[in-house]
Amino acid sequence: MSWQAEADEIARRRAFADQLGGPEMVARQHDAGRMTIRERVAGLVDQGSFQEVGRLTGSAKYADGVLQSVTPAPYVMGLARIDGRDVAIGGEDFTVRGGTSWGSSRRKGGQGGLVEDLAHNYRIPLVNLIDGSGGSVTSAERRGYSVLPGIHGFEQSVRLLGEVPVVSGVMGTAAGGPAGRAILSHFTVMVKNTSQVFAAGPPVVKRSLGQQITKEDLGGSKVAVDLAGTIDNVAETEQAAFGQIRRFLSYMPQNVWELPPTIACSDPADRADEELLSIVPRERRKPYNMRRLMSLVADKDSLFEIQPRFGRALITSLGRMDGQVVGIIANNPMIYGGAMDGAAARKQIHFIDLCDCFHIPIVFLVDVPGFMVGLQAEQAATLRDGMRAVHAAMQATVPILTVIIRKCYGMAGMATCDKNGLDLKVGWPSAEWGSLPIEGGVAAAFRREIERSPDPAAREKELEAELREYASPFRTAEAFAIEDIIDPRETRAFLCRFLNAARGRLATSLGPKPKYGVRP
Amino acid sequence: MAKLAAKSEVSGSVWKIEVTLGQKVAEGDTLVLIESMKMEIPVIAEQAGAVASILVAEGDAITEGQSVVTLET
Repeated sequence: MSWQAEADEIARRRAFADQLGGPEMVARQHDAGRMTIRERVAGLVDQGSFQEVGRLTGSAKYADGVLQSVTPAPYVMGLARIDGRDVAIGGEDFTVRGGTSWGSSRRKGGQGGLVEDLAHNYRIPLVNLIDGSGGSVTSAERRGYSVLPGIHGFEQSVRLLGEVPVVSGVMGTAAGGPAGRAILSHFTVMVKNTSQVFAAGPPVVKRSLGQQITKEDLGGSKVAVDLAGTIDNVAETEQAAFGQIRRFLSYMPQNVWELPPTIACSDPADRADEELLSIVPRERRKPYNMRRLMSLVADKDSLFEIQPRFGRALITSLGRMDGQVVGIIANNPMIYGGAMDGAAARKQIHFIDLCDCFHIPIVFLVDVPGFMVGLQAEQAATLRDGMRAVHAAMQATVPILTVIIRKCYGMAGMATCDKNGLDLKVGWPSAEWGSLPIEGGVAAAFRREIERSPDPAAREKELEAELREYASPFRTAEAFAIEDIIDPRETRAFLCRFLNAARGRLATSLGPKPKYGVRP
Repeated sequence: MAKLAAKSEVSGSVWKIEVTLGQKVAEGDTLVLIESMKMEIPVIAEQAGAVASILVAEGDAITEGQSVVTLET
């Protein structure tokens, strides 16, 4: 006697799982321009690599003890490979009860689910494909009592942020727990027009505040990505979002106990691009294209921007130098002269934390006139957010290489370099620095002298010119108050040389980073 | 023919208008310079076209996202 009958039953039960919420619900999902969770997993991972866990879970219907059907649990999860590397992956099945939480004895996914345990215990990245609104009031009716918030707590989700890369794709509408789960990630991406994210959706907003608003207006990418920075990146399609997830993971180690993957690089480390010599205009009022500058310095086609549409006075990008993963932080002179506002500060903090956690050295390309000024900036607590950026930079222990392209002023400038440590800082000939810019600074420091002068405006100009003589970066280099002034064309070779030398330090300081103190 | 609004990425004041009505522009050309944080920030043509209208004058205060020029593309 074999177990053929039971083997057949396994196949039959798996077939129920493959039907998701049934043809009608699957059609509705497709009509909304969205993939099903199974299509999403298949679209993201290496072909044939998905090893599902918990495929038989669901609510079964029996008649006289004979199985009639199984409605699968609204969460699909398991192991898979992305570019040959193992990941834990899972996502809500919106076609089953709108992807709401499942009252099983052990959760498959979401916060505290098995998918998180897989990532934690095997030390592999976690990919969440989010499409659900979390709890439902109907579960209280099923249980017979109400639960405290956090019965499935975020403890594991938080722990994972210090252990393995966590990526969340917001693929549909995410509210409540799943929305919160998305935020507890190292990288998030959503899909233009077909995905939304918020703490609570339109019905709750209407009931609480009387506001009538569509879910796209409340939590579409224009709000969540462009204005709020709740989600890092937006993709045109679900397929494009999968591409961004794969790309992000290509820069990441499997966990904090490993180094990020270094790849063979065909772009010469000593490539000296002639364009760099003239990319910064001699006229101080004229900006230039920092993204272009970054692309000339980094390995060809290696840049991947995080949060390109938020906090735009700053550019944060993963990239490679001579095949080694680096995090590049650059100010964008096209947006408010690169002045650091609250959004830019938050972006810089997140990116420094990300790089520090995964032992990715940081390259600063500095052109910052200081914190953003003005009433609006003060009301937005720019000073506090900005000092948080300083705090994050001072606490980071990965090597930091600072290249001052043009302006490096004030406390925002201090957030870009370690003044006394081993981490090098060098300047381009176009560089200028100080505690504050000469314009404005002169007016404040020499107020009486200027006022007493017969021609105050002329005296102010005169004083500015006198002080500007001391602003030459060469004078600072003479005093070894900056390590070097380099020919802009040498930037790539310089960075590659020192990043290469830092590999030993990185390889011998692996593991989780301790958290201490209070971020202001 | 489609109308395309060129918008300023920053708040500031209009420093210089670099185009005239009807002028043909190429993608990437500077249309208007905005003075913001002591810098001259260009508003560029995202596509080639002809200047259909100029919505601001030199010295005007403008806000982030404000349209400054429309192009016929």
